[in-house]
Amino acid sequence: MSRKPENRVDKIIADLLRGRRLKLRGGDAEEKAAITAAARLAGARQGPQRMHPAFRKRLAQALEQAPDERWVTRRTALVAGLGLAAGAAAGGVFGHGLEPQTVRAGGEPIDPVNGRWVDVAALSDLVDGHGKRVVAGGVGAYLFRSGDKVTAVSSVCSHLPCELLWDGGSGHLACPCHPVAFKPDGRPTDAYHLPALNKVHTRVTTAGRVEVLGTE
Amino acid sequence: MTPEEPAGEPQAEVVDLPAASRATDIALQELELVYAFIYARVGNRADAEDLTQLVALKAIPRLRQTAPASAIRGYLFATARSALGGFWSTRLGLSEAELHEDLALALPTSPPSEDGTETVQQILAQLSDNYRRVLELRFLHGYSLKEVAAEMNSTVGAIKVMQLRALRAAAKVRLDE
Repeated sequence: MSRKPENRVDKIIADLLRGRRLKLRGGDAEEKAAITAAARLAGARQGPQRMHPAFRKRLAQALEQAPDERWVTRRTALVAGLGLAAGAAAGGVFGHGLEPQTVRAGGEPIDPVNGRWVDVAALSDLVDGHGKRVVAGGVGAYLFRSGDKVTAVSSVCSHLPCELLWDGGSGHLACPCHPVAFKPDGRPTDAYHLPALNKVHTRVTTAGRVEVLGTE
Repeated sequence: MTPEEPAGEPQAEVVDLPAASRATDIALQELELVYAFIYARVGNRADAEDLTQLVALKAIPRLRQTAPASAIRGYLFATARSALGGFWSTRLGLSEAELHEDLALALPTSPPSEDGTETVQQILAQLSDNYRRVLELRFLHGYSLKEVAAEMNSTVGAIKVMQLRALRAAAKVRLDE
């Protein structure tokens, strides 16, 4: 693949002009301004766009068929999110995921194979109500202190495999890959009804050290 | 409608659509605006559909409330901006904070006007002649690089470089939106 920025950007432009979705690669971020400008020019090329009838129909069906409460199934949310993040096949996929399903609660604790307790922090380093990201071998977690107790949830989103970010302003763990967030107890904050984050085993030693059940 | 129906009867009193259907129609009208807004920024149908359905998924509980249309629209466009921010940060592998400055240009704070074409023309108008020409030919007229090179008496390599520089310049244009 060409490393020259003019070639990389032209490939993106050629795809856009052929009506293909944006496929970006490592290094394209350096040309983010040019790429967003190219997308905008491509978007304006044919004037204002209306939804394709088939897509509009799927949206209408989704709007009418969804139950009043907890209507977004895990499958639906997964399909939509994956379509966004992973670049699923062209066209909407609404119609495939709308069968009512019980939303999975998630939140099961992580029990690593050959797990071992890993010292990750001093209790005194943790501030009540603030998430602290730690790594215990192959297990990434956010620690939350409440007095002398410490709980932890996985640092990986329960939907897309992205590392969550601690947003101190909102007090939530935010996923960088799509607009969802989780509370410190691992439950999602919004209407997605995604599974809760996996819990991570923790313990506080008599010496005031926090340990996480992780791996070598 | 039958010929016996009295003339001049207001249609709204005769036809009473089921509530769910009306709500869906209103939602679809709003989502059409969202789709156009998103399409004008991602430039392709597949991504625009994915993002629009993401906005719909997130907004349906709100759409079902009996909120004023203006509040629904505001919520939808706030959600659309958030979805676009997530889209660009994911595709470019950047945090949304890093993208913030560029998105300030790409995502105006108000819902879209009639179309983005006018905005693009305003952007192009502020570029140098060569930059404007290369972008017009390539994007608005759909010329290939070879055709642009022939039209501008240049080489494909030089046009490719000029195209990139023109896009960088276009991204820097600030409009009074």
